[in-house]
Amino acid sequence: MALEIYAYRCRKCGAVHYPYRMVCRRCRQNAHNEFDPVPLPRRGRLLTFTILHTLPPDFNVAKLGLGIVELEDGLRVTGQLDIAEPKAGMAVQGSVEVVRRGEYEKTHGLVFRKA
Amino acid sequence: MAVDLEKLLRPVDHPYPPFEAKFMKVASGEDMVVRQITRDEVPDLLPHIEPLLHVERDYYDIVAARVYAELLAYYRHRVQDEYVLVAQIDGELAAVVNGRFVNPDVGMSYHTLALRRGLRVGAHAFAAKMEYHIDIAKQKEVLIVAESPIGFRRWMIEYQLEKRFETPHELGGVPSYALTRALFDRARNTLVVGRRPVPGALLRKAQAAILPPSNPPKPPADPLAAARAQGDPTNAAVLHPPPEKGKGA
Amino acid sequence: MREVYVVGIGITSFSRLEYPLSEIAAYPAMMALADCGLAGVDQVYVANMGAARINRQTGLASAVVDTLSLTPAGAALIENGPASGASAIKEGFLAVASGVHDVVLVTGAERMREVNNLEATDFVATLSHPLAEYIYGITLPSLAGMFTRLYMERYGVTSRHLAMVAVKNHDNAMLNPFAHLHQKITIEALLDSPEALTNNPYVAEPLRFFDMCPVSDGGACVILAAADVAKKVKRPLVRLAGVGQATDTHAVQEREDPTDLLAVRRAAAKSFEMAGVKPPDVNVAELHDAFTILEIVESEEVGFFKKGEGHLALERGETRLTGRIPINPSGGLKAKGHPVGATGIGQAHEIVTQLRGEAKKRQAKNAKVGFTCNFGGFGNNVVCLTFIRED
Repeated sequence: MALEIYAYRCRKCGAVHYPYRMVCRRCRQNAHNEFDPVPLPRRGRLLTFTILHTLPPDFNVAKLGLGIVELEDGLRVTGQLDIAEPKAGMAVQGSVEVVRRGEYEKTHGLVFRKA
Repeated sequence: MAVDLEKLLRPVDHPYPPFEAKFMKVASGEDMVVRQITRDEVPDLLPHIEPLLHVERDYYDIVAARVYAELLAYYRHRVQDEYVLVAQIDGELAAVVNGRFVNPDVGMSYHTLALRRGLRVGAHAFAAKMEYHIDIAKQKEVLIVAESPIGFRRWMIEYQLEKRFETPHELGGVPSYALTRALFDRARNTLVVGRRPVPGALLRKAQAAILPPSNPPKPPADPLAAARAQGDPTNAAVLHPPPEKGKGA
Repeated sequence: MREVYVVGIGITSFSRLEYPLSEIAAYPAMMALADCGLAGVDQVYVANMGAARINRQTGLASAVVDTLSLTPAGAALIENGPASGASAIKEGFLAVASGVHDVVLVTGAERMREVNNLEATDFVATLSHPLAEYIYGITLPSLAGMFTRLYMERYGVTSRHLAMVAVKNHDNAMLNPFAHLHQKITIEALLDSPEALTNNPYVAEPLRFFDMCPVSDGGACVILAAADVAKKVKRPLVRLAGVGQATDTHAVQEREDPTDLLAVRRAAAKSFEMAGVKPPDVNVAELHDAFTILEIVESEEVGFFKKGEGHLALERGETRLTGRIPINPSGGLKAKGHPVGATGIGQAHEIVTQLRGEAKKRQAKNAKVGFTCNFGGFGNNVVCLTFIRED
């Protein structure tokens, strides 16, 4: 089963939000849970990135690529980068994979590669 | 007929190439010299380490206790093929690193004790030690363990050391990690830092004397408060420093 | 709305403090009470971020009010991430300005170093958005790194400018007896020497080790009072004239323009408006430089310099101690330290000291109007304070 990361479209005015918020930022008129989940598109442009060397626990690697990507539909997401030499502005393609392994649980999120 | 017991008790050191002194500019803009010392200088070094036995934070007490023992063992010829490097800034002791050559192929890293903080002196000193084993003594790998989480993160994770869990480390039998020549070469630009030769005046200043550090780590100013801070209602958690000479306990 | 004055201040050394957290909060409060000579207060606010997680203590304000023997005064904890300090000052300000209380004690404290660095890093990382940022291993330095890359590309800020901020603040801290770092550093050692990469390694590219503030323990306190109380206290009259706060999106990716710090811009504007002054009127400022890039960008967003020109003013020396608008005379978060809950109050302590003319070797000239900016999260909750010397 393919996993998706969801954005949320307000049923009242159609504004799309990622990440989730309870009150629509545009119209502020929605009732509770009055959102439709919309899978995030996978392709976008790398806006900015960093290579992080001082990592939190759960990450037993020497460094980690992280970036902010502007997706095709204009939404922006943060994700891990599996890119040898990232450059701001490059076209990227995301997939939903394990991004963090705790002691007992795995968490899924977006990993971006060169498109 | 006197039996020369010392001959029985004293291991014979093998010849290993010496560590040629190097120097580097640290973040303060000062130049730091890293050089090898021989047994003769150990008595000059011990008094600077002894006060750290009473600093019960950041693993200073345990590392200082073990380094003191290792230095004394080196001085008294009771450990084979041990080496000691000191890092000095303006003659003042900034760090001590030591280790041992187990055999021509395998090195055993002992400790890295930094007395000057905030300048990444420990990183420079550790790198010098690794250079000594791999580049200068031409060993194949160095076995390393860490006493502190910081050490673990800095060495095991950053350099992605290989696990050698089947090999107990001399520092208490804990499983070792290894810095192999391949890993060393990959990290060469951070592990081979500093320049040689050391300019004459700089080297002479370092060789003249190992001066006490001007701002070493100290025990807490208020041991009772420190014991409270450790969650101890009996106020005993922090060993009180020894009483000053001439005053009662 | 009544006028509010700062009548007493106190501060600990920012460093590694082996004292229980409640004592770190109480000690500067004792100093502040001695400073103004008042024996009792009507209300206590305590600013802190980590007590529950790092120090395993909840209800910190209740512990502090008792250890100071100020019971039965009311007490409450204010937690607003790194902006806790100025947030607590804002609550104290509102209490006095509204007329409900006459004397309010606001103390902040943090004891980060009770846990190791890994734990402390994770703790601060929990400020990020749990689903959109935290899960990826995002830490505050990584958010700052991504921001810095964009800023460098758009406005031409370089690593050299960042190092200049660090060197300036380290130099200032040498004159500050309670700063965390009393360590001279040089740009050559940080950037140019062959050993620069070991001296100053990358932490979150392009940010390096000396672009990050240290992890500090510490406490600071200010006592706020109404005009009639203030006039009886025999200390220079410093008024807390302006308080402004603004928020922004939680996830950094959702900011309108990823190189803007809108919450800083809005909070500063509100603070200046309330105080009735403009940015050029400010004589001395403490800006939240958890990362060196932030000092440059905040100096633009609050209005001291045009957007994208902060680094040019830095080059010209305008923000040095002897410059036109000294920024971070205390050494800033970079060298004075960043005990998270206490930081905002530490900034206020420095500005009040400056406006009183008591900053000794780090005294800014003609210090009549002072300003602080306390930056919460990564710019999603900012509180700015404006102080004016009245006598």
